Amino acid sequence: MKKLNIFLTILLLLPVFLIAQDGETEIARVKSKPVRAPFGCPVVIDNQTVYIPTAKTLEFVIEHRFGKIENISNLFGIYGSSNIRLGVNYSITNKLSVGFGTTKYRKLQDFRIKYNILEQTRDDKMPIALTAYGNMGIDARAESYFGQNYKFTNRLSYFTELIVARKFTDWLSIQVSGSFSHINRVDSLMEHDKIGISFSGRARVSAQSSIIFNYGIPLDIKGIQEHTTLTNPPKQNFGIGWEISTSTHCFQIFVTSATDLSPQYTMMENQNDWLDGDLFFGFTITRLWSF
Amino acid sequence: MNMKTRSINKIIGIAAVLFFAMAFMAFITPQDQKKGGPWEIPSKYAKMENPYAGDTDLIKIGKMLYSKHCKSCHGNKGLGDGPKAKQLETFPGNFATETFQGGTDGEIYYKSIIGRDEMPNYEKKITDDEDRWAIINYLRTLK
Repeated sequence: MKKLNIFLTILLLLPVFLIAQDGETEIARVKSKPVRAPFGCPVVIDNQTVYIPTAKTLEFVIEHRFGKIENISNLFGIYGSSNIRLGVNYSITNKLSVGFGTTKYRKLQDFRIKYNILEQTRDDKMPIALTAYGNMGIDARAESYFGQNYKFTNRLSYFTELIVARKFTDWLSIQVSGSFSHINRVDSLMEHDKIGISFSGRARVSAQSSIIFNYGIPLDIKGIQEHTTLTNPPKQNFGIGWEISTSTHCFQIFVTSATDLSPQYTMMENQNDWLDGDLFFGFTITRLWSF
Repeated sequence: MNMKTRSINKIIGIAAVLFFAMAFMAFITPQDQKKGGPWEIPSKYAKMENPYAGDTDLIKIGKMLYSKHCKSCHGNKGLGDGPKAKQLETFPGNFATETFQGGTDGEIYYKSIIGRDEMPNYEKKITDDEDRWAIINYLRTLK
């Protein structure tokens, strides 16, 4: 089983290692123009998109989740306890961005990298966009949270994702992604690894506004499970909302069942069941600066 | 009415006057928004040919891009009345006028993409040349 884990990790990390090779072959490739903006925001609710701003652009991202939607007395979750992430991303090239963010839950500090391996072209010679995304999170809470035999590596968690997207029409873009999540230190009955798939989309309703959705499914794969029965298996997450993107901003407001702002914890620990009414208001705002 | 109640009423009264005065000021718009002077356009741009001139397919793309990048200041119909226009020191111009439409495509390209002062540079935000000309083709429909 350990071998299988290593194999899966390598398989999902492969696109990140392939960055250099892809750059070399690009010169020889005949240039077809990429389609115009299949997505206009770096995230679609709880998932990454294939969007990377143009080279030398700094992107500031504010992600927020309010408390659980209950009733008017908690103003539908707005008075509830919230989670927030502040992050910055920098596009080194048109296809590569790196970033750092800090999140209230777990005082998580995350470093991330995103790379567009393939771009969908207008002539359809390349019918899809393919993007690799990876992050490493550092849980920055006090040592006492990690129990006995504390080591720094207990704090680390990882998320790797391959995203396939297609802009079907001027107004409709859909993406499907496969992900691998790993948390170094978990409770004795919990899993360290999880493979997941996600479906997300953007349906444009005007030049600036779109309806967006995201659905994430953590998969129970016996082959990589450490325990025969799963304790508190993660629930599927669902979100739907509204996006407005302008020249230098992107704004999303939505309801979602995921409150974690790091995808590895959403895939591995989300206990909110959207079918049971565990829904939360949230928003994402970005600001771009070009240099 | 005792002294204490009178002085509280006085404070409330002053606070109410100040509040309404401040609220009223929000409706005051600056009257001294200046008109932009004539543009100095390098001849390289003024003489530029629009490779997509007459390409009506691009108008739809141009309209989308205009909505995303330009509308907030220049307004729905390019009259210079977008929601952010009043915050500008300089009137952002009326695209329906003869003065604007009389310019060459290259001149409009320079004004739109290169910019000056409060009109930002869009070279890094609209990187594809076809997209830039699509906006110019759309601006031509705002006569």
